[in-house]
Amino acid sequence: MKTVLSLKNVKKSIKGKPIIKGLSFDVHEGEVFGFLGPNGAGKTTTIRMIVGLMKISEGDIVICGKSIAKDFAGAVGKIGAIVENPEMYKFLTGYQNLLQYARMHKGIQKEKIIEVVELVGLSDKIHDKVHTYSLGMRQRLGLAQSLLHDPKLLILDEPTNGLDPAGIREIRGHLRKLAREQGMSVIVSSHLLSEMELMCDRIAIIQNGELIDVQNINDFVHQDKVSSYVFETGNLGGKEQWLRDKWDAKILDDGFSVDIAREQVPVILRSLIEYDIEIFGIGTANKTLEERFLEVTAN
Amino acid sequence: MMNLIINECAKLFRRPGTIVMLAIIAVLAAGLGGYFKYDEVKHPSQENVHWKKDLQTELKEDRETMASFGKSNQNMKKFYERQIAIKEYRISNDMAPEAEQNVWTFVRDTKGLISIVGVFTIIVAAGMVSSEFSWGTIKLLLIRPTSRVKILLSKYLTLLLFSLMLLSLLFTVSALAGLIFFGLPESSVPHLAFTNGEVVERSIFLQLIGEYLLSSIGMLMLATMAFMISTVFRNSSLAVGISLFLLLMGDMVTKIFAGSFTWAKYVLFANTDLSVYFDGVPLVEGMTFSFSVIMLVVYFLIFQLLAFGVFSKRDVAA
Ligand SMILES: Nc1ncnc2c1ncn2[C@@H]1O[C@H](COP(=O)(O)OP(=O)(O)OP(=O)(O)O)[C@@H](O)[C@H]1O
Ligand SMILES: [Mg+2]
Repeated sequence: MKTVLSLKNVKKSIKGKPIIKGLSFDVHEGEVFGFLGPNGAGKTTTIRMIVGLMKISEGDIVICGKSIAKDFAGAVGKIGAIVENPEMYKFLTGYQNLLQYARMHKGIQKEKIIEVVELVGLSDKIHDKVHTYSLGMRQRLGLAQSLLHDPKLLILDEPTNGLDPAGIREIRGHLRKLAREQGMSVIVSSHLLSEMELMCDRIAIIQNGELIDVQNINDFVHQDKVSSYVFETGNLGGKEQWLRDKWDAKILDDGFSVDIAREQVPVILRSLIEYDIEIFGIGTANKTLEERFLEVTAN
Repeated sequence: MMNLIINECAKLFRRPGTIVMLAIIAVLAAGLGGYFKYDEVKHPSQENVHWKKDLQTELKEDRETMASFGKSNQNMKKFYERQIAIKEYRISNDMAPEAEQNVWTFVRDTKGLISIVGVFTIIVAAGMVSSEFSWGTIKLLLIRPTSRVKILLSKYLTLLLFSLMLLSLLFTVSALAGLIFFGLPESSVPHLAFTNGEVVERSIFLQLIGEYLLSSIGMLMLATMAFMISTVFRNSSLAVGISLFLLLMGDMVTKIFAGSFTWAKYVLFANTDLSVYFDGVPLVEGMTFSFSVIMLVVYFLIFQLLAFGVFSKRDVAA
């Protein structure tokens, strides 16, 4: 697997205060990589260093084999990005905005601009002034801008911010398609964790400027052997204490929930039948990314 | 580079404010022509048939003043030398001072409007970098495969283009209004310049273009300063405030200091009016053309080094 982006022990201090404390990870070709962390974790700061808006205090960032510090133009030419909000020239039309950026890369034809505008679904409004755009439309224009030069690496800081559910779904589809069909690598930072779950192949969790973990999304959500099971039962007939003591169960109105390994489900079932307790159903409650995230970043 | 300049021009000229500036310059120049014409019709100027006699009296006074002040003040002496030489030249060559307005005298009058051009150039200069920061567009601008130096340079060159455009607009509209309102002079009138102790005749058209450019040096230096301040502090009001204040007051304050302190010659404004070396006397004795040019270059380099140094190093966290 080809590595498109590589962070090597990247540190950043602002006014003597360490903000990023040694990040290292790789992003591979064609993967959608999630960048997760609570407010102030340093996601935007890291992205600013990757695109060269901020100098790296220590360490190195390499994009397609080119160091952003040593070969700025070579490295940044492979990147398309939106950093925080997609701010555009409000007094220009969407099309004129795109022309601005098209002129700054080599060999972008009119057809390419039109193609990108169609892709993000902005064809109707592209010749309107940007100050008439809604946030979602600006978000789309921002995405169009980042795709003009067919970047190898697409970096989107909270791309779904301001989009309606249909829009989010659409963008998600685009990103997956770009990654799969064009082998583009995509880095997404987002607060909508459920979004990440649907969009990303791998995620990195950072907190206080430190990398906590990089994992495949499925491993991350399902990594524990133990899952949560909800038992829907009739009257527990005085066995509540036994459930609490032995299984650490939580008693609910119409049953109980319990965190156990898969193999233990039949064990409990057998006991319940033995105790003559009615069982109406059993369901698993998989932890969502959100719960996992809160768990990991809690300490 | 060309593309970057096209980008900057697009951003500049697609804003209504810029168009308003162009319109104001044109309207002011044309309006001034109309006003002067109105004034001329109301109080028609008489052709002075006794101009030679008047000049003779003036010459006598000039000589006396020069005799009494000239010894103590070298600059005064030079000033009167020039006055006397030109007046004598007029008498001996039978060239009456222009009494009636014509297109050229009018174009020279509107030279005063260059300070308005200066105000507009400074306002634009102060916004070029700082507004990219306040709009947040700087983030999308700086993540392109183009060095920051090139981006800033394209902005500065666009500023120069804009200023030159305002100047040519002022010149052209003035010339047109002058032609319409006052017409060409009856006989061609050359410009009389005094250099190296001699009076020489110059083409008035070229002379006026030269005068416009020379008069613009001051405002261009201040625009460069505004550009620098706005780049370093990302604050356009600060840049506009300081630069406009200096544009309006700089000359006067420097002149006050120049009376008592010779170090005033190192002040920017003592050196911005290069025309004194062609047609007048410098502010402080002993100043030469090359001294002033060197001072201007030094100031220019300081402004640009600060602007480019800070811009290319800065962490963009806007
Ligand atoms: N210019 C700056 N000067 C000082 N501290 C800064 C600066 N920029 C960011 N920080 C600090 O760096 C830390 C990381 O900020 P950053 O914007 O990268 O967080 P983030 O992960 O993007 O947060 P969010 O989820 O809110 O967008 C914060 O604690 C912030 O206070
Ligand atoms: Mg952020």
